[in-house]
Amino acid sequence: MGALLQLTEVRRHFGGVQAVDGVSLQIDAGSIFGLIGPNGAGKTTLVNLVTGYIPTQSGSIRLGDDGATVELGRRRPDVIARLGVARTFQTLRLYRNLSAFDNVLAGMHARRPQDTLQQIAPLPAFQHEPRARLARASALLERVGLKPDEHGPRRAGTLAYGDQRRLEVARALAIEPRLLILDEPAAGMNPVEKDRVRDLIQQLNADGLTILLIDHDMRLVMGVCNRIAVLNFGRKIADGSPATISSDPEVITAYLGRQADKSGARVPGAQAATVTTAARPSVVAAGAPGGPNRMLEVRDLEVAYGAIRAVREVSFGIDEGEIVALIGANGAGKTTILNTLSGILRPLSGSARFLGVDLAATSPDRIVRQGLVQVPEGREVLARLTVRENLELGAWVRRDRQAVHREIEALNQRFPILGRRRDLPAGQLSGGEQQILAIARGLLARPKLLLLDEPSLGLAPQMVDAVFDVIRQIHDEGTTILLVEQNALRALEVADRAYVVETGRILLTGSGAELRQNPAVQKAYLGG
Amino acid sequence: MDFFIQLFTDPIGFYNSHELLIAQIGVNAILAISLFVTFYSGQLTLANAGFMAVGAYTTVIMSLYLPLPLPIDILAGSLLAAAVGFLVGLPVLRLRGIFLAIATIGFVEALRLGVILNLPITGEGQGLKNPTADPLGGIVPIVISLPLIAYLVWRLTHSKLGHAWAAIREDELAASSNGINVALYKMIAFVIGALLAGYAGALETHINFFVDPTEYSVTRAIQILTFAVAGGTTNVVGPIVGAFFLTSLPEIIRQASAYRDVVNGVILILVIIFRPQGIVAGGGLAIHRPRWWPESWRFRGRPASVN
Repeated sequence: MGALLQLTEVRRHFGGVQAVDGVSLQIDAGSIFGLIGPNGAGKTTLVNLVTGYIPTQSGSIRLGDDGATVELGRRRPDVIARLGVARTFQTLRLYRNLSAFDNVLAGMHARRPQDTLQQIAPLPAFQHEPRARLARASALLERVGLKPDEHGPRRAGTLAYGDQRRLEVARALAIEPRLLILDEPAAGMNPVEKDRVRDLIQQLNADGLTILLIDHDMRLVMGVCNRIAVLNFGRKIADGSPATISSDPEVITAYLGRQADKSGARVPGAQAATVTTAARPSVVAAGAPGGPNRMLEVRDLEVAYGAIRAVREVSFGIDEGEIVALIGANGAGKTTILNTLSGILRPLSGSARFLGVDLAATSPDRIVRQGLVQVPEGREVLARLTVRENLELGAWVRRDRQAVHREIEALNQRFPILGRRRDLPAGQLSGGEQQILAIARGLLARPKLLLLDEPSLGLAPQMVDAVFDVIRQIHDEGTTILLVEQNALRALEVADRAYVVETGRILLTGSGAELRQNPAVQKAYLGG
Repeated sequence: MDFFIQLFTDPIGFYNSHELLIAQIGVNAILAISLFVTFYSGQLTLANAGFMAVGAYTTVIMSLYLPLPLPIDILAGSLLAAAVGFLVGLPVLRLRGIFLAIATIGFVEALRLGVILNLPITGEGQGLKNPTADPLGGIVPIVISLPLIAYLVWRLTHSKLGHAWAAIREDELAASSNGINVALYKMIAFVIGALLAGYAGALETHINFFVDPTEYSVTRAIQILTFAVAGGTTNVVGPIVGAFFLTSLPEIIRQASAYRDVVNGVILILVIIFRPQGIVAGGGLAIHRPRWWPESWRFRGRPASVN
C-alpha cells in the first residue's frame, strides 16, 4: 500500500521556538498512525500544519496515493478539507447551539450541491435531495454510535461529553475524508468511554479510512496503531511499531525526563527487578491527617469542567517544610488540582484547607494573601514589561514598599540572571530565565506554600538544572513547595514525597526515592 | 391600549390612520433583517446605517437628475449599497466581534462626515429635498417588500448558504475544517446585508420629502441593532417583531414619545437581562432570572429560569 500522506522536512517556528523542526513521516493508506510526545512537543502544531491552520515555513506535505498527489502546504484550511482531510479538535469545537443533526449537515457542506435557489422555491420536485441528505446525516450519527431520534434534534452543547466527542467524529466523517485526524479523541474520558472510542477507531479503519491518532492515553495509542511516531521539542525522535516505541530508551527519556547528569540517566523499573522484586507499590494511606505542622489538607476533591470530571476523589496533604510532587502524564489532572487550590477553579465536592482556611470558599486574591502562591504553567510573565516591573507586580498585594524594594534587590543578587537583565522586557528572556523570573515573582508575595506548575516545561536540559537548583534553594530557605511535573525523574529527585496522578486519580504515593524505583510510575506514563 | 384595540378590531381604520407609522415600521423591519443576515453569520456590524445612506442618496439624486422610472432608481441605490458593502467588507471582515463593530462605526461616520457633507450633489450638510416623494404611494412597495424579503431570508437560512453561516457563527475554525470558505461566506452575508439596508434606505426616501444627513449617523446604526437584539436573532421573525414593537412604542405610550431614546434604552436593558435570547425565540414565554435576582422575588407561576 502506498503513502496517503507524506511529510518531508516540515518546519515551523514561532519566534525563536522551533515548534516543528524538520519532521518527515509517511502515513500509509489504510493504516492507523499514532503521533505521541510530551506536552509541547509540537503534535497539535503538526496537525495544524497539515490541515492548513498554520502555514508551513519549509518542507512539503503531500496527500494522495502513488500517482496523483497534491501539495497541502500553504493551502487554505477549507481547501484542504475539501481535498479529503478531516479533523477533530483537542478542545471540542462543535457548533454548540446547533442541533446534532445540523452539526452533521454543516459538515456535509463541501459535498452538498448549491441548493439556495431550490430552498427559495421549495417545489416538490426539489425535495428529493434534502431527504437523501437527512438520511445520510442519520446514518453518520448511527455510525459513531449516536441515536438519530434521541440525539439528533438535541443541541450539541447539551449532549454528554462522550457523545459530543462522537458527534465531532460524525461531523468530520460527513466530508467523506480520505484521512481522518483525531486530536486527543479520548481526552477526559473514563475507561469505559475510552474502550468505545477504541472500538470506533478500529471500526472506521476496518471500513477503509486512514486515521492519524494523537492521544496521551498510551494504552489507546499502543493498542490501535499500526505505526507510531514520537515527537519531542518539535523533532521526530522515533518512528516504528508500538512494541519498538515502548521500549525505545529515547522515548522513555522524553516522557519521564532525565535525572541530573551527575547521577546518570536511569529508567524507573530498570533496576526495580533487583531492588524491590515484585514489591507492591507502597501505598500510604493518602491524606491521613498529619501532625500538628500539617499545612495543606485535601480531602475527596472532585473537580469538573462541564461534563468532564477532571479530578476524582483526590486526597493528599503537605506538612510544613516539605517538597511534595504531583507527577503524571499530560492530562492527568495535575494543573486542575493546583488551580483548585489557588481558587481559580471551584471544586464540585470535597474540601481543601490551608492553615485553617477553606480554599473552596475563598477568593483567589485572599488565598494569595494567606500565603499560598501559584507559579503558573507556561510562566505567564508579562512579555512587554521589564523584569523589574514583573517583579514589582508580584508584590502587588503588599503595602510595605520599602521591604519590597529591598527584596527585589536581594532577588537580583540571588538570581544574577535576573539582575543583569532587570531593565529588559521579560519577553526577551529565554524560557528558563522567564521561569526563574516567574518563581522570583511568586516569592515576592511571601508564600508559605509555593505551588510550581511544570517549571521545567519546554526548557533545555541545562536550564532544567538551573531551575531545579533554584527550587532546592528556595526550599532550603524554608518555603514549603508543591511541585507539579511531567519530568518525573527530576521531580522525584528533589521531592520528599510524591503522588502519582493518572486520569484524575491518585494512583500511588510514596517517598521520592521509593517511587524512582517503582515500575508502576513508568506504566502511568507509557501505558503497558 | 387603544392602539392594539384598533389594530385588532378595525384593521382597515388602523391602516388608514397609521399609514406613515406602518411605512416606518416596514422600513425599520427591513433594516433589522439586513442586520440579522450579518448577525446570523456571526458578524456584529453597525455599517448598515451607512449602506442605507448610500441607497437613499443614490435614489434621490437619480430621480432628481435622470428621467428614469422610480423602481430603477431604487434598484440602482440598492446595488450601489451592495457594491460599497463589498468594498468595505474587503478590509473590515478580517475583524471580529467588537472590533468589527468599531470599524463599521468608523465607516458610517467617515461616509457621513467625509463624503456626504462634502459632496455638493448631496446638498452637503443641508440635506436634499425630494420633491418626487409620495408618502402614501410609498407605503405600497414597503408593505409588499417586507413579507417577500422576510420569506427569502427565511429560506436562505435553510439553504446551504444559511447552514454555512450558522457554522461560521458558532465556530469559524471548525467551519473551515468542514470545507467552508469562511471569508467568502462572511462576505456574502455582508453584501446581502448592505443590499437590504440600501433598499430600505431607498424606500424610506419615498415616504419623506427630505433626505437628512443626520438620519444616517451612529445613532441610527445602534437603533437598527436594538431592533434586532430586542426582537431576537434566532430567526427572521425576531427582528421584525423588534422593529414593530420599538417603532410603534411612542404611539402605544403617547407620553413616552418625548423620551423615545430613553425608553428604547430601558427596554433594551430589560430584554438583555430578563430575556437574553430576545422577544421571539425558543423557550416559550420563559423569563430568565438573573443570578443576582433574589430567589424569593420569583415571578409567580412562571418558570424562574430558562437555560
